[in-house]
Amino acid sequence: MHVDYWQEIREDRLGRIGLYLILLLALLAALAPFLAPYPPEARVGAAFSPPSSRHWLGTNDVGQDIWSGLLYGARTSLVVGCGAGLLAGTISVLVGTSSALVGGFYDSLCMRVVDALLVIPPVLLAILVGAYFKPHLLTLILLLAAFLWPGGARIIRAEALSLKEKKSVAAARTFGAGSLYIMARHIVPDLGPVWLAVMIQDARRAIFMEAGLSFLGVCDPTLHSWGKMMQQALEFTYLEVWKWWLLPPGLALSLTVAALSFLSFALERILNPRLRGEREDAGH
Amino acid sequence: MLIWRPNVVNYIVAFFIILTLNFFLPRLMPGDPLQAIYGDDALIAMTPELKLELIQRFALDKPLGEQFVAYLRALFRGDLGYSYYYHAPVVSVVLGYLPWTLLLSGLALVLSTLTGFILGVEAGFRRGQGLDKLLLTTLMLVNGFPDFFVGILFLLLFSVVWGLFPLGGSLTPYASLKGFDLVLDILHHLVLPLLTLVVVRCVNIFLLTRSSMVTTLGAGFILTARAKGCKDIRVRYHHAGRHSLLPVVTAAGLHLTHLITGTLFVEVVFSYPGLGTLLYNALMVRDYPVIQGVLLILTAAVLIINLMLDLLYLKLDPRINYAR
Repeated sequence: MHVDYWQEIREDRLGRIGLYLILLLALLAALAPFLAPYPPEARVGAAFSPPSSRHWLGTNDVGQDIWSGLLYGARTSLVVGCGAGLLAGTISVLVGTSSALVGGFYDSLCMRVVDALLVIPPVLLAILVGAYFKPHLLTLILLLAAFLWPGGARIIRAEALSLKEKKSVAAARTFGAGSLYIMARHIVPDLGPVWLAVMIQDARRAIFMEAGLSFLGVCDPTLHSWGKMMQQALEFTYLEVWKWWLLPPGLALSLTVAALSFLSFALERILNPRLRGEREDAGH
Repeated sequence: MLIWRPNVVNYIVAFFIILTLNFFLPRLMPGDPLQAIYGDDALIAMTPELKLELIQRFALDKPLGEQFVAYLRALFRGDLGYSYYYHAPVVSVVLGYLPWTLLLSGLALVLSTLTGFILGVEAGFRRGQGLDKLLLTTLMLVNGFPDFFVGILFLLLFSVVWGLFPLGGSLTPYASLKGFDLVLDILHHLVLPLLTLVVVRCVNIFLLTRSSMVTTLGAGFILTARAKGCKDIRVRYHHAGRHSLLPVVTAAGLHLTHLITGTLFVEVVFSYPGLGTLLYNALMVRDYPVIQGVLLILTAAVLIINLMLDLLYLKLDPRINYAR
């Protein structure tokens, strides 16, 4: 399947919104050291000061600048989302294509493990393991990827099974191509769109889970995270600070997740042309 | 043989994975395994005699294999360990918090399924019209919000700004209400967490019912029903709606799983005294026996419910049997 993603996503209204939102967030996150007026952990003002020209979103209970914290939180969310999405997507492709190509006992073993992991809610597993490791950025990415890959592996395997039957693969085999060569040159390149969809889906869930884990206080307390900001702010709902401390990280998180959902809806429509008619009917 | 169906094996393997993680995580952590098994609070209460007793109880001086057997034996006796934070066995701590979670998630299950279904039927019936578009856009938007943030929004709006509902808890403390007043008080505290879960969790049911409704309405038997002169509402619910229930039933397992994990987070927001709040407090003080106990019970519940649903589908729809 050869798709001009850029063209297709730009033609889709929701997809376009999602893409621009993600690009904006990535820009803010990348430039955080320049945009943030203070380091996020520095105590730079009086506690609980309301928004002012010095502190755009005021300060929290120990006098840290909330706007700076928000920017650095975007970094964590995006790094965790991209990292876990990439890693989980890659594991999915490796397991999915290899079990589709090798088949037999290896295939049934892999799928047995995948099925068993699929019935356990990944959030519960992540809380359990996270409670012991108090994960920071890298450990968190590894942890989330370890529990997110099985769903993608099933999808990739199904796609690889149908790609395997293509005439071009049969032709390559008659020319003496081995399994590894076919996997690298024929199957994986054609998996592109599905792989992308799986990775975006995984990234979305990873961002969700990172926020959730930080909200529960599972992660390393030094990790700058929107979830942790909300956890801390929730204790002070009796003051007026929730307007600039509790709402911004929540809205930022929801916006990020929504942008990724829009992107995956757009991709889903590209992947499944049968959806086009129905969706346009519903959304015109 | 029912027991050797592939899906039954999946659940057994899944449960084994959880048990293995529960067993190995604390024992592979660097440092004293007793601290990792029991949390920091245990060390304060630790005397040499107690330490000796604990080492014996967990067979910590034996090889890992024998320790694992000892661990499994204790589990099958219903012994989930002892919490030094609460000074009570984990089982009794968990049982104290469980009823509130059951109340909240049970009601949320019924109400979210019902709401999602009715909205889905109505929207699917009016596809492309104002109401359908409104519902579709609002619920898609809500879909992007994490459960706990929706809860926070409701808490801020209804409790902090308008003061309509209590800020948290499940009862008014020290009010010693009785009878009808007690029920009212419980309901008053229940409204917001329940509303949060219903709003967040009805979205998937809504989308499934709606799309199934759209397909069903094009079917021949709907035309027949109309030709017979059936009333609109009868066509909508008795003919089309009933047929659109099928995908909802098939997705019930996933729905329940999301509901259970959602309940954990929503309870924390409203300090509702269920398993979610218990887990949160245990995470704060690193009370590992309670963390393990709560997660084990929740996972076991999810697995058992899903397994029963899987077996139920086989009975409901014999086609699934061939598809596997």
